[in-house]
Amino acid sequence: MTLRTLVLSAVVAVAALGFGWSLFTALERWLATPPAAVADGGGEAVLGVATPGDDVARITVTLYFASADGLGLQGVEYQVPLAATPAEQARAIVEAQLRTRPAEPLLATVPEGVTLRGVYLSERGDAFVDLDGAVRTTHPGGSMYELFTIYAIVNAVTVNLPSVPAVQILIDGQEVDTLAGHVDLRRPLTRNDALIVD
Amino acid sequence: MLLALTVMLAVTAHPAPASQAPGAAALTILTRDGQRTLPLTTLANRDYVTIDELAGLFRLTAREDDLAGGMTLTYAGQTIVLTADQPVVSVAGRLVSLPAPPRRQGARWLVPVEFLPQALGLIYPERLDLRRASRLLVLGDLRVPRVVTRIQAGTTGAQVTFEITPTTTAEVTAGSGGLTVRFDADAIDLSVPTLPAQTFLLAVTAGDTPTTVRLATGPRFSTHRVTTVPADASSSRLVIELLPAITTTEPDTPAAPSASLPAPATPPLLAPAPATGVRTIVIDPGHGGEELGAQGPRGTLEKTVTLGVARRLRTLIETRLGLRVLLTRDDDRTLGLDERAALANNNRADLFISIHANAAVRAAVRGAEVYYLSLDRASREAQRIAEGPATRLPALGGGTRSIDLILWEAAQARHLEQSSVLAGLVEQALRGRVEMSPHAVQQAPFRVLVGANMPAVLVEIGYLSNGEQETALASASYQDQIAQALYDAVARFRDHVERGSTPTPGGGAPEPR
Repeated sequence: MTLRTLVLSAVVAVAALGFGWSLFTALERWLATPPAAVADGGGEAVLGVATPGDDVARITVTLYFASADGLGLQGVEYQVPLAATPAEQARAIVEAQLRTRPAEPLLATVPEGVTLRGVYLSERGDAFVDLDGAVRTTHPGGSMYELFTIYAIVNAVTVNLPSVPAVQILIDGQEVDTLAGHVDLRRPLTRNDALIVD
Repeated sequence: MLLALTVMLAVTAHPAPASQAPGAAALTILTRDGQRTLPLTTLANRDYVTIDELAGLFRLTAREDDLAGGMTLTYAGQTIVLTADQPVVSVAGRLVSLPAPPRRQGARWLVPVEFLPQALGLIYPERLDLRRASRLLVLGDLRVPRVVTRIQAGTTGAQVTFEITPTTTAEVTAGSGGLTVRFDADAIDLSVPTLPAQTFLLAVTAGDTPTTVRLATGPRFSTHRVTTVPADASSSRLVIELLPAITTTEPDTPAAPSASLPAPATPPLLAPAPATGVRTIVIDPGHGGEELGAQGPRGTLEKTVTLGVARRLRTLIETRLGLRVLLTRDDDRTLGLDERAALANNNRADLFISIHANAAVRAAVRGAEVYYLSLDRASREAQRIAEGPATRLPALGGGTRSIDLILWEAAQARHLEQSSVLAGLVEQALRGRVEMSPHAVQQAPFRVLVGANMPAVLVEIGYLSNGEQETALASASYQDQIAQALYDAVARFRDHVERGSTPTPGGGAPEPR
């Protein structure tokens, strides 16, 4: 009787651990993505901190660029270095989003020369992406351009890191009203599927 | 008879040479019986008047209730109750919010100057028309047109344009040292930009009488030419060209772009409509001042285009629908996004229309778009808080009063359904007149819409990043088309509100009846 209870408890405990482990793995789904699933053009971009050919583990992520007709954000798969923590992974993704100039006919939506000051994760999982002031001084304005700039970054983080529900953009370490006079940046923004085109 | 009245010319807050005493700020009050002044106290960039002086001027009975820390003002049996540091006052039993709470300084009570039209105006028998920028209050139905001055100075001449709303005739006479412009009105509400001294024009100042403006001309001035252009149905432009001494050829004066273009055909005037559910409309010309907004490849600025359209739209709505229209800015000034929504909220506007011109990553993108607010996670949370139980505040004379306090962050959330109806009507009206983007109606978390406590849309009237559209956006004809379309949409939305019908959000038209 006691033995049977013990065995049952052990089985339940092992099942629970297994379930928890798979749940964690599912959330960290980039770990499971095989390196073979690299899209065209992924190899030519210099991304993250590592140079191509390094023996660094990489993961495949989706970055967002203006579509050929300029009317939506199109996702393209690229490889970025695998990071040890979600915050570092978010940083690697945003850096790739800022630096990558996509192949024709796609266009980058973040002005060239904008650098990333840091990425932090809050307790509830929201990411804070701190950009340098160049994003404001070099931005050409217009609500559509502004939406594309902001949601390329917000979508790149939230789509690739399912554990991050929302992203707040800071400029020079400060919370800001807007980037160019339109989109409310005082709060974290959730992913925007309406702007994404196939 | 009218012109014999002692009324005074009010010069705006612009750094123009003013005839009034420096330092002491005062509100000029224009009445049929003459002109009065009410001293202003400025606290935290806001103008206040004292209750004592207000009561004396408007014959109000003021009584302080020490026990409740409040003050009551009575006029002809109707009462306004205010509480120190409480931005909500009760006017004849109706709650009215003020942009700032009344303040108490020792025995003195101060109220923000907006108290006059927003609270006192509800019980006072005459109309109180506050022109805050000019620190002017017009009582009753005096003719005090707004006269906005624009100056273009070139090397071979200068041009002074007065935009006069509502239209008034004016007479220009030459005298020693300059020109005098006399307007046919009781007084004028004049605004003059800062003028860099140059050889044709030394200064534009208020004249010796309330209805005149004086142009002090420089050494190279010899002669002048006057043209009057009807700007639109209710305003006109008086253009004065200052020409040099030797003019064998036509002066190469840069013409005011709008003045030289053919005026739009004057539409038939409609009789003023009775009071309805839509009485006040706030139009917000995007950007301004240091905030240029988007810029076309040939340098056309968003802030200029949006102001042009806003002014045209104001004229159409004022003259053809007889509604009260306020612009968040009527000149080229920097204005915060919160201030824009606050102006609409404080004036209890029934509609808010923000006008913008767009820019895209790709130059090929073109067409107009209409946006209304999208609710993000945080705004949904704010909305939930706002929908909680009403706040109870202590009332004068004991007891409590239940007040529906609206969180700024959730203000627009309550109006989303109507905003989507308005967006649909704007989209339909625009589609008949200008090219639309493939995504004609969209939702976005636009900051200027968040705090608007009324149906609100942001209209992107075209893409400055597209060369052809840039040319169109800068033209009077395109701006007229946009203004006409937005006017149509406002008229249809008003019908919709009056009838209480509910067209399909985001595209449906009100049912014809």
